[in-house]
Amino acid sequence: MTLLSTLYGIFSFLGHYPGYAVSYFIEALLYLIVISLLLIFVIYLFRKFMARLQLRLGPNRVGKFGLLQLIADALKLIGKESILPKERDDLPYRVAPMIVMIGLFLAFTILPYGSLIGIGSLTVTNSAVSLLLVFAVIAIMPLGEVLAGISSHNKYALIGALRSIAKDISFEVPMMLSILAIVMMASARVPESLSISSIVSAQFLPYAILQPLGVFVFFTSMVARASYTPFDMGESDSELVSGFSTEYTGMRFGIFYIGLFGSILLGSTLVSLLYLSGYNGPLSTEAGVVWLFIKAMVLVLISFTVWLSMPRIRIDKFVNFGWKYLLPISFVNLILTGILTLGLGW
Amino acid sequence: MSDLMQLNMGPQHPSMHGVLRLKVKVEGEIIREIEPVIGYLHRNAEKLCEMTYYCDNLVYFDRMDYVASMNMEAGYLEAAEKLLGIPPPERAVYIRTIMNELSRIASHLVWAGAFGLDLGMLTPFFYCFVEREKILRIFTESCGSRQETNYFSIGGVYQDITPEIVDHIKTFLSEFPRKLEDIYNLFAKNDVFLSRTRGIGYLDPEIAIQYGVTGPMLRASGVPYDVRKAEPYLLYDKVDFDIPISKKGDSLARFSVRFEEIRQSIRIIKQIIDKIPEGPFFNPKAKKPMMIRLRGDGEVYARTESSKGEFGVYIVGDGGVKPYRVHVRSPTFKNLSVLPELAKNQMIADLIAISGSIDLVFGEIDR
Amino acid sequence: MADEGQQQVDKAGRQIFKVPKEKLLEFMRARKDEGFNHLSLITGVDRKDHIEVVYHLHSVEQDRYIVVKTTTNNCTVPSVTSLWRSANWDEREQWDLMGIKFEGHPNLKRMFLPESWVGHPLRKDYDLGNVQYINMDEDGEDYSTFDPGDGW
Repeated sequence: MTLLSTLYGIFSFLGHYPGYAVSYFIEALLYLIVISLLLIFVIYLFRKFMARLQLRLGPNRVGKFGLLQLIADALKLIGKESILPKERDDLPYRVAPMIVMIGLFLAFTILPYGSLIGIGSLTVTNSAVSLLLVFAVIAIMPLGEVLAGISSHNKYALIGALRSIAKDISFEVPMMLSILAIVMMASARVPESLSISSIVSAQFLPYAILQPLGVFVFFTSMVARASYTPFDMGESDSELVSGFSTEYTGMRFGIFYIGLFGSILLGSTLVSLLYLSGYNGPLSTEAGVVWLFIKAMVLVLISFTVWLSMPRIRIDKFVNFGWKYLLPISFVNLILTGILTLGLGW
Repeated sequence: MSDLMQLNMGPQHPSMHGVLRLKVKVEGEIIREIEPVIGYLHRNAEKLCEMTYYCDNLVYFDRMDYVASMNMEAGYLEAAEKLLGIPPPERAVYIRTIMNELSRIASHLVWAGAFGLDLGMLTPFFYCFVEREKILRIFTESCGSRQETNYFSIGGVYQDITPEIVDHIKTFLSEFPRKLEDIYNLFAKNDVFLSRTRGIGYLDPEIAIQYGVTGPMLRASGVPYDVRKAEPYLLYDKVDFDIPISKKGDSLARFSVRFEEIRQSIRIIKQIIDKIPEGPFFNPKAKKPMMIRLRGDGEVYARTESSKGEFGVYIVGDGGVKPYRVHVRSPTFKNLSVLPELAKNQMIADLIAISGSIDLVFGEIDR
Repeated sequence: MADEGQQQVDKAGRQIFKVPKEKLLEFMRARKDEGFNHLSLITGVDRKDHIEVVYHLHSVEQDRYIVVKTTTNNCTVPSVTSLWRSANWDEREQWDLMGIKFEGHPNLKRMFLPESWVGHPLRKDYDLGNVQYINMDEDGEDYSTFDPGDGW
């Protein structure tokens, strides 16, 4: 029983293939809406959490507890004039925010979410290689940032884009190596070890306990991927004004802003799926999505705390850190995992 | 040298503390040439001072270093009162010393918050400003104004302080040191902060003196020079305090010297808060209607230690009710002039860490 | 030291040395060798018929403080940038506001005002009624003009 089959039950009068096509489309649309609402919630949470940390009140004027503040902000961003720089490269300039958005939402449709009472499994896409697919999709997002930086013909944006590239290549390799360790461990227990849902089912113990080094490398990479402080050299506001998004205004800027929070949510969800046994919890597997939500939100709050209490790392130090510390650590993790899996048969 | 890219930072830039403009030539991320351009906040306060009465000039001095306006007032009055021959009574001197040090604390707190922001730390900024707000509340109680206080006046202070204000200062002094250590630890126990500031922007003491650098920046380079000790004014020869120095000369040293100065300021206030003598709070020669008739002759130069460094005021009088010429030795103006020396061959990110550590306030640099 | 210039004392008790313009550089070099390593400030006073240039010298180690004064009738004074680096910005400031030309200064540009500003504001004969407007050209450099333009 999945959401897809429920929807197909409604649209089955269209025939087999058209019925599935329509229900798949509607399901994806539903996800888009739910994810957008979730993102708005995360931004609201961030603003409230930040205010608490900083001895402030946060949004409290628009609606009860400022709940409508984000809607008001979104309306303001949409209503704002989008100023286009005169010397832009038109196509990449317009496409860049869309790439960020598409990469983000595609990644969310690939993740498994567990099940909910009354609806059944919430997973949209079941793929045997969904792990690879997710990382392929989120690898698109930096492309949007680089395009934005280069196409706006602004020196700050250019430096921001260069920093983004330098940052990305220095954490991608350790990140993928730590993923490899997970696949190794899962392959000893389940057949389709490249599927995220099989990795979740293979976690008799959360992998965070078995691979503490791996979760450190992966979480650090996810912080760097989402690029907030301490790893926000690409858009460092006090040095490069706003980095690659300097020349963006209105809703185009809003998309980059949402992309930042989307990356945080995505990273937290991925960490809880791959390392914290995802939607499996001690009580019930019928409402797995609740467990996933709780785990992801705890990680989101940890991310916010890191964001708000750290200064920015200098780019050359981060590149050093990536190649001299993260990479060896992930190799050590790989070897330890090999010993655990093959030697001890875990 | 065609590889150099010219980057124009400011005057509208998030971390240029107002209106500093830096013409920077970069090779990738490395800065090869740097030229500060200033004057975007220039009001020519010196000319304005020539056009108003001696007692009114305080208004322009308030607006120079607007985060430590009491320091500016003390500097001007130190010169003006010598020129006019109107010394303040004992009680006013005590009040001035206390307010001067409170103002110094407030100024250093603003600096610490802004320095954190420059490095990408959002949270300490608010912690600093909450504490500063308590000081500003004391100012509001004593003179009705938060920042541009205009509290000191020629021959005394504008208003007497009440026992309640003394109580509030005491409460502040008893609560603040613990909060200060919290703020200090937020910075000094953060490894990323240390890695961003340690060894960045080393200032050699020889070069510092050559450029006329004074204040916490000079002391962070290991020169124990403080006008409060060298040429005591107000009560500084009667109170006991140390000059904090550091031999390191980098941004981290400037940070720790400023925090140590806050602790010394607390010490100074604690010593004199209970000893404020009774008596008049202004010199009867400078009563309100008489104030604009004060005539000054000759010339005088007085230097004081503001929160940024040695603040000097040079006044020439021609026997009239308005000064003939006023010159202000702005400490930050000199401190900024050493920036090209410090930031050369550093990275853009370090330029921000260096310029943030200078404590730039443009009201005073551009005057 | 005493024979090189007339001595006076100001109201704060500082020694004042009056040195003729021709001997200024020589006198300053001798003071620097004596240990006055900190040039605290340079300023000018417009005395209507001549301009008085004031230097404040300070020795950080010995904690001594002296004032050196010189006068000029044609607004030129030798530059002391070769002795103290802080003189660079001070002299630029005085050139900008007071109009004292420092001969031998490596980069005598205006400090605060745009390069095309007319007059030196701290002079006593500066006409305050003549309003100048500052605008920005294509390269981002400021220029001043007497024309209010459209923006104002």
